[in-house]
Amino acid sequence: MRKHNLGNVISFELVRTMKKKRFWLGIFAMPLLIVIVITLISVSDSHSKKTTSNQKNSHFSFEYTDVSGMVNPAIVATLKGTQVPSENAGIADVKSGKVDAYFYYPEHPSKDAIKVFGKEKGVFENGKYSSVAQMILQTSVESKISSPDVSAITRGAIKSTTVTFRDGKAAGGVNSLIPSMLYLVIFYLIILLLGNQMLTSTLDEKENRVTEMILTTINPTNLIVGKVISLFVLGVVQMLVFAIPIITGYVFFRSDLNLPNIDFSHLVFDPQQMTVGALILIGGFALFTGTLVALGAAMPTAKDAGPIFGSLIALMFIPFYVFSLIASSPNAPIVQIFTYFPYSAPVTGMLRNGFGTLPLWQAAIVITELFVLSAIVLRLAVRLFRYGSIEYSRKLSLREIFSA
Amino acid sequence: MSITPLVHIDHFRMDFGKKNVIRDLSFEIRKGETFGLLGSNGSGKTTTIRALLGIYQPTQGTLHINGREFKPDSGMKLGYLPEERGLYKKESVIDVMVYFGRLKGLDRVTAHTWSLDYLQRVGLGEKDKTSIDKLSSGQQQKVQLGVTIMNNPDLLILDEPTKGFDPVNRRLLMDLIEEQKKRGATVLMVTHQMEEVERLCDRIILLKDGVSRAYGTVKEVQDEFGNLVITIEHVGELPQSHLYSIIEQGGGESKVEVVAEASPTQILQEIMRAGVSVGKFTPTPKSLDDIFVEIYGSETSKD
Repeated sequence: MRKHNLGNVISFELVRTMKKKRFWLGIFAMPLLIVIVITLISVSDSHSKKTTSNQKNSHFSFEYTDVSGMVNPAIVATLKGTQVPSENAGIADVKSGKVDAYFYYPEHPSKDAIKVFGKEKGVFENGKYSSVAQMILQTSVESKISSPDVSAITRGAIKSTTVTFRDGKAAGGVNSLIPSMLYLVIFYLIILLLGNQMLTSTLDEKENRVTEMILTTINPTNLIVGKVISLFVLGVVQMLVFAIPIITGYVFFRSDLNLPNIDFSHLVFDPQQMTVGALILIGGFALFTGTLVALGAAMPTAKDAGPIFGSLIALMFIPFYVFSLIASSPNAPIVQIFTYFPYSAPVTGMLRNGFGTLPLWQAAIVITELFVLSAIVLRLAVRLFRYGSIEYSRKLSLREIFSA
Repeated sequence: MSITPLVHIDHFRMDFGKKNVIRDLSFEIRKGETFGLLGSNGSGKTTTIRALLGIYQPTQGTLHINGREFKPDSGMKLGYLPEERGLYKKESVIDVMVYFGRLKGLDRVTAHTWSLDYLQRVGLGEKDKTSIDKLSSGQQQKVQLGVTIMNNPDLLILDEPTKGFDPVNRRLLMDLIEEQKKRGATVLMVTHQMEEVERLCDRIILLKDGVSRAYGTVKEVQDEFGNLVITIEHVGELPQSHLYSIIEQGGGESKVEVVAEASPTQILQEIMRAGVSVGKFTPTPKSLDDIFVEIYGSETSKD
C-alpha cells in the first residue's frame, strides 16, 4: 500500500503539473528566449561582419601623406588613392570636397596614431575611413615579409596547447572543466525554474484546505517523498526541453548561428570529478527541495514564505562573489566556509570540483553533509506538514514544531 | 450492532501550550453504531477527532481505533469529512475523486466508475470534468462527501456534515449517511443539529469545558437531564408551584418542566385546584435541543 500510494502521488503530481499551461509556458519561454537571442546575435554578427567588410572594401576617393615610408604605393594605386605632400593640403582637399578622405601616416605608426580626415557620413559610416587607412598600412607591411609564418605571427595568429599534470597524470584542464560544470548549470536551472513549485507543493494542500483529508489517507512521508520525486522528474523534463533546441541548433545550424566548433572528442570525463559532481548535484537538489517544501509547510501562504525563499535563492549566488578566490585560492577561509556551509556548499563544491581544487576527502565531507542534512530537513518537512499544515492560516513557531 | 468498541478513548487530555482544551475525556464507540459528539463551539470536538486520527499528538491518554493508534497506512478503511472543507481546487472533479479513490486502495477503473455513479446520484452528473473551484460550495461539499465514502469505510467520521447544505441537500446527505449505517459502518458525527442526532444517533456524548457532561443513548441522556416537559392549554393563570417550573408561557398555552420526583398527575391536580381550566395536558420527554440549550445556553450566546 505504501509503495502503491507513492506511485499515485507521483503520477497525480506529474499529471496535474504537466496539464498546466503555465508549466509549459515557463519551460518554453527560456529556450525560446535563447533561440531569439542567438538568432539576433547571429544576424547582428553577420551584419557587422558584412559592414566591416564593406567598409574595408568600400570605394571612395582619398589622398594620403606617408611620412613613415611603409605604405606601398602599388597597393594605394589599386585603391585609386593619390599622395599629397602635406597634411594641410590633404585636409584642405577634404574640406573643399575634392576628395572624400585624407590619411596621414606618421613617422612611427606603432607609437603615433594614423590621422584620418573625411566627409561626415554618420557615426557608423565614418568607420570606413579608418578601416581602409589601417588596411593599407597592414597590407603594405605584410607585402614586405616574404615568410608566410612570419606574416601570420605578425597578425597574431598564434596557437598554443597546454598539458598540466596532477598526481603524475595529465590533467584535463579546460576540457575536464566543461563536463563537470554542466552539473552546476543543471543545478541552477532546476532550482530557479522549479523553486517556486517546490515552495508551493505543500502550500497547495494547505491553501486548498485538503490537509486533513490527505493526512488521514496517506502517510505524510509518502506524500512528501512523492512530491520531491515528481519535482525531480519535472526537472528532468525541463532539462530535456531546454536541451533539444540547443542540441538541434548546434548540430544543424552551427555555422548559421556562428557557434564555435567544439571538438567533443577532446572533452575529458574524469570519473572522479563526474561522480563527485553528480553526488553534490543530487545532495544539493535534495537539500534545497527539502528546505523549500518544509518552508511551504510552515508558512500559511506563498506570500509569507517569499522573504525566506528569496534568501535561500540568494545563498545560491553568494559563492560567485568570491569566484576568483574559489578558482585561485581554494584554501582561503571564506572559500572554506562556503564549501562547508550547507546552503552555499553545492555551488562552491561544484565550482571547486570543476576547477580540480576539491580534494576527495573534502568532497566526501561535503557530500555526506548534504545527504545527512537533506534527510534531516526532509524529516522536518514531513513533521511540519503533519503538525504545521493543519494550522491553515497561522505561521508555526520553532518551539511548536519541535514540541509537537 | 456489536457492543465491541471500535473506538476507545481513555483519559484523553489535550493542551495547546498553556491552554487546556480537553481536560479528561473517556468514551467508547461500538462497532456499527452511530455516535454523536456534541458540544458548543470550542468545546473540543474537532480536537478530539484530530487526536483520534493522529493529526494531533495527545498530551495524555490513549485514543485507539480497532485497538491501536490510527495510522493512515494501517489498512483501516476510514472515511473522514473534516470540518475544514477543501479539495484540490484547480483540478477536475473526476481527477480529484479518482486520486483519492486510488489513495484509499481502489483501482483506477473502480474509482472512476464509482465516482461517475455517485456524481449522477447527487445531481452532478454533468460536472465530472469541471474544476472544483467552478462548483458552488454545496456542490463541492457533495464531492467531498463522495470522496469520504467511496471506499465503503468501516469507520465514517463526519465533522458537521450538513454545514452549508440547504434543506433538500441536507436530506440527501442524511439518506447517504443512513445507507452507510445500514451497510454496517460505524459513524461518528459531530453536529449542532439536534434533529440529525435524534434521527440518526444511537448514542451521544456532550462535551463542555473539556469534559463529558452527558454520555449514553439519546434516551439515557434525555432521562438524565430531562425531567418531563408538559404542554398545557389552559384558561386562567398557572399557579406558582414547587412541583414544576414554567419554561414558556403565552397565548393560552404554557410549557412547564416537571421538578424531579413530581408526577404529571400531581401537577394536574394542583393546577385544577387553583381553579385553572385545562384543555390539553401533554407530557413529553425533554428534547435534545432543550437539553443542549440548558447546558450551553449561556456560552453559545457569547459565540
